[in-house]
Amino acid sequence: MRIPLSWLNEFIALAESPREIADRLTFSGTEVEGIETVGSTFSGFIVAEVRAVEKHPNADKLSICRVFDGQAELQVVCGAPNVTAGGRYPFAPVGVTLPDGSLTIKKAKIRGVESLGMLCAADELGLSSDHSGLLVLDSTWPAGTPLSEVLGPPDTVFELEVTPNRADCLSAVGIARELAAVYRTPLAQPNIAGVSEAREEQAPWVRVEDAVGCPRYTARLLENVTVGPSPDWMKQRLERSGIRAINNIVDITNYVMLELGQPLHAFDRDLLEEGRVVIRRAKAGEKMRTLDEQERELDPSILVIADASRPVAVAGVMGGAGSEIRPETRMVLLESATFDSALVRATARKLGLSTESSYRFERGVDIELAERASRRAAQLMVELAGARVVGGVADTRPAGAALRRIAARYSFVRDVMGIAIGDAEIRAILNSLEIQVVEQGGDGFEAVIPSFRADLEREVDLVEEVARIHGLDKIPAPLPRSTVDPQAAANQTTRAKAVLRTVLAGLGVSEILNYSLVSDAALDLFDPGNRDQRAPIPRPLSADQSVLRISLAPQMVETLGRNRAHQIEQASLYELGRTYSRGATGVTETESLCIGLLGPIGRTGLDRRRTVTAEEMFLWAKGLVESLARAVELPPLTVRPTAVAYAEAGASVELLAGDTALGTLALVDRRIRKEWRLSDPVAIAELRVAPLLANVLSVRTYSDIPAYPSVARDVAMIVADSVTHEEIIRVMREAAPPELETIELFDIFKGAAIGAGRRSIAYSLVYRSAQRTLTDDEANGYHESVKGALRAKLSAELREG
Amino acid sequence: MNNAEIQELQAAAIQEVGAAPDAASLESARVKYLGRNGRVQDVLLALRQAPVEQKRELGRLANEFKTSVQAAVDARKDALQASASVASFDVTLPGRWHGLGTRHPVTQIIDRAVEIFGQLGFTVADGPDIETTFHNFDALNTPANHPSRDPKDTFYLDDTHLLRTHTSPVQIRVMQSRKPPVRIIAPGRCYRRDTTDATHSANFHQVEGLYVDRKVSLADLKGDLTYFARQMMGPDVKIRFRPHFFPFTEPSVEYDFSCHVCHGAGCRVCKHSGWIEISGAGMVDPHVFKAVGYDSSEVTGYAFGMGVERIAMILLGVPDIRMLYDNDVRFLGQF
Ligand SMILES: [Zn+2]
Repeated sequence: MRIPLSWLNEFIALAESPREIADRLTFSGTEVEGIETVGSTFSGFIVAEVRAVEKHPNADKLSICRVFDGQAELQVVCGAPNVTAGGRYPFAPVGVTLPDGSLTIKKAKIRGVESLGMLCAADELGLSSDHSGLLVLDSTWPAGTPLSEVLGPPDTVFELEVTPNRADCLSAVGIARELAAVYRTPLAQPNIAGVSEAREEQAPWVRVEDAVGCPRYTARLLENVTVGPSPDWMKQRLERSGIRAINNIVDITNYVMLELGQPLHAFDRDLLEEGRVVIRRAKAGEKMRTLDEQERELDPSILVIADASRPVAVAGVMGGAGSEIRPETRMVLLESATFDSALVRATARKLGLSTESSYRFERGVDIELAERASRRAAQLMVELAGARVVGGVADTRPAGAALRRIAARYSFVRDVMGIAIGDAEIRAILNSLEIQVVEQGGDGFEAVIPSFRADLEREVDLVEEVARIHGLDKIPAPLPRSTVDPQAAANQTTRAKAVLRTVLAGLGVSEILNYSLVSDAALDLFDPGNRDQRAPIPRPLSADQSVLRISLAPQMVETLGRNRAHQIEQASLYELGRTYSRGATGVTETESLCIGLLGPIGRTGLDRRRTVTAEEMFLWAKGLVESLARAVELPPLTVRPTAVAYAEAGASVELLAGDTALGTLALVDRRIRKEWRLSDPVAIAELRVAPLLANVLSVRTYSDIPAYPSVARDVAMIVADSVTHEEIIRVMREAAPPELETIELFDIFKGAAIGAGRRSIAYSLVYRSAQRTLTDDEANGYHESVKGALRAKLSAELREG
Repeated sequence: MNNAEIQELQAAAIQEVGAAPDAASLESARVKYLGRNGRVQDVLLALRQAPVEQKRELGRLANEFKTSVQAAVDARKDALQASASVASFDVTLPGRWHGLGTRHPVTQIIDRAVEIFGQLGFTVADGPDIETTFHNFDALNTPANHPSRDPKDTFYLDDTHLLRTHTSPVQIRVMQSRKPPVRIIAPGRCYRRDTTDATHSANFHQVEGLYVDRKVSLADLKGDLTYFARQMMGPDVKIRFRPHFFPFTEPSVEYDFSCHVCHGAGCRVCKHSGWIEISGAGMVDPHVFKAVGYDSSEVTGYAFGMGVERIAMILLGVPDIRMLYDNDVRFLGQF
């Protein structure tokens, strides 16, 4: 909302600077979003009378004017379409500089015709952006009058952001009331006189059929109206407030709305069939052309003002084109009503129409205001449009309701604010907001709430009033009163996740974050088979963000691909986030971990250029996951071949820690990698976070450090390629006594010397007893049984020596 | 050998050992003096042949001969080894160890916030991303017609489920499950139907705090947020409240931090105002307490929120929120 400071000054005397006033408004709850200086001293500008207009001989769109400046007639070339003989316009004589400093007027020849000055449009005066024609001045101004007398001194316009609970602040008087409270100075209300408050006992020309949608409707009749332009001071105020001036009657309704906060509407009564209004729901199929020249389809959810046969206005939103004020309007029906805020909101939304009127009704307009605002508008119509008020006011509201009273305690105000503010100060602040305080003895009081403050309902609402007027800057910032919360279960998951992140950082893996919403196409690329489990977003913002992610892998591969496009050769990344899958009982959210590897990430030193093989990449990823598992205290990992939808054939496994399935590890299929031009292997591990966190915080207990020396024995063998490392380990473990402490792979060799389909593989085994030093004979005995088992169960050819 | 001869020999040995140019000549010098057939045997012979009354003094000298020459040998050996190792490889070659991983800036800010509020006795609470309209709106006193409920602004999954628009529903879940006092902090992902641009993201993170106890006041809120601001942004950061309106708090405020870059003088970061808008806060509205079964005549409480991405952008100087979700390792590696 825009309000000129000069308007506020009509109700409250403020000597402070605009900046200071704006700050006080912001810090008492009405945010000033902008401060604009408008107008100027208009030094040198005068009112000029155009005495004659003729066409420019060399230019169609220009005219040659004879301009009287109060003393002499001058020749001026003008391009404005609205220049007419007899009109009064702002004039900049030769030597005058425009307010924005952009131009100093010189004697000039325009298309061969001499011009001695410039007739000005509003934008050239810095008044608005309007360049449609010359600014038309009231014809009563004598030529030669300094323009500053006409347009007044420079002004300041505040751009205000009013919070939705403060409908009472959507007016000049409302803002002035706030300032009166802040500065503790008296507030003057507009002086309304000369119009009778008497009610029409019988007013059959107003009928409300929906009293819920329209709890109050007032109407006055004004005859003998002369429709014409408003006086300059009113046009200027409206324009500075962001409302276009139209004619005196419409301008007055807008002016009073801005002044008092009550939206009003003026009908040409002669265009109302049978001269009456009915406030009713629209009928199905009814249509109406609104003032913006749009044909509107109405329905029974919409409240309208109708005449005897057809809707003439959408209640609280916009008038109809068929009953508007015309130049020839003689009799006005002035509406000042209260409409239900939810109804107006729903209608405005349905019609896609937001107006100054609907904006105010949606927030709630004080029901007690309707008649007073009508009287104020009638007074202005009498003064400015020669109108005569016919009879009294038709008013459908029986009588004013009792004011709300809130029981409150001074001590509560102090406690919630956390500040020692005295009873008298609290009382003074409430009084300054027109809230009466009735003492109840001791700590208690009763606050009588004015009708325009529907937002004040509870004791705590009064605290806010005191706090914001007293000043939030006066609230201290004491040291925290840190106490132990005995019920607080320390959040183990958060701690455990922090450990997990630290471990991953230590392993050289960097964290990324991707959006939770992805495209179906991206998920399809990785696994078209999980469509049924995906949770779609109805009415997505875009196809790219149309479904909740069921896997972190697609975005991880995309991230790796995007980095590769930036010439990043290697990356090891992880994301810790939720995945979402839809089942019979709804959508399940699962904390997931995805690790992605790209490039020669497992190599150090000078060996980075060599092509990364699939085996290398897989084993790096596996080694990384194994280290992670060890760091979070899981039992040693085993793998089980499994098909992962996006994996290269044969390069995907399920990862198990003991019996617990952790997730999968896979090399991404070439077909998918091609989407991001990733020609080298990409490893993706997808893990459930819950089992990773299970042991993170477990307390580790001491076990004895070996007291006796160990004995090492090697075994080298040739086995078929089909015999896996895990199988060999299992066979050795089964054959050996508990004294077999560790088995370590130290060599693998394939080649012509061994023969196709076979490999040489060698392990170092360490034996140790916890009770005594093992003899060579004992160790040899254990080792022989291991060898025997390898021969018998795996057909291993043992290489002696 | 007499006493003086032994001492002369000792001095000569130490001098020779100390001058040995390399390991081989050092070894031959050692053998010459201390070896099985070395000069030490002469000393020991003299000791054996000496009269009883001289044995004590000669024994001391013999012992000193052996230990001092051996010490000289050891010292020279260390010196030779030390000079040998410096010369043997290029110490300026790049080091070889796998790199350290980095944490995402958003997570870093969350962890820091959790840590700071942890010092004030706050514990972390968590809730689902997919919330009910009850927890996200109704219980938070958000009227049916409030603009935040508009499907234009909120991702609805169906009539009663949505992607949470803030982490405030976590506060409701905690209060429903516990009696006061409550002191929690709720970090998490939130969703709004914002078109992504430099400062908006449909997907963002919030940290919200809630403190409910007897006589919790606006001053407590200001004090605790000031503590947080100083820990997070810098030791002299100040906090400022502006009155505002939220359905779930009364009184409601917006809070600003004084600019940590220019200390209030005005700079580009604070748009020359000296202050940086952070987020909203206030005293928990009695309607919210009613919705969770708390007695607002017994307790009061404060609640606050903050956008994690916003803090990250302000503190780390990140110019565009989208950079936080681009996951460019050249960006991530900076933090
Ligand atoms: Zn600054």
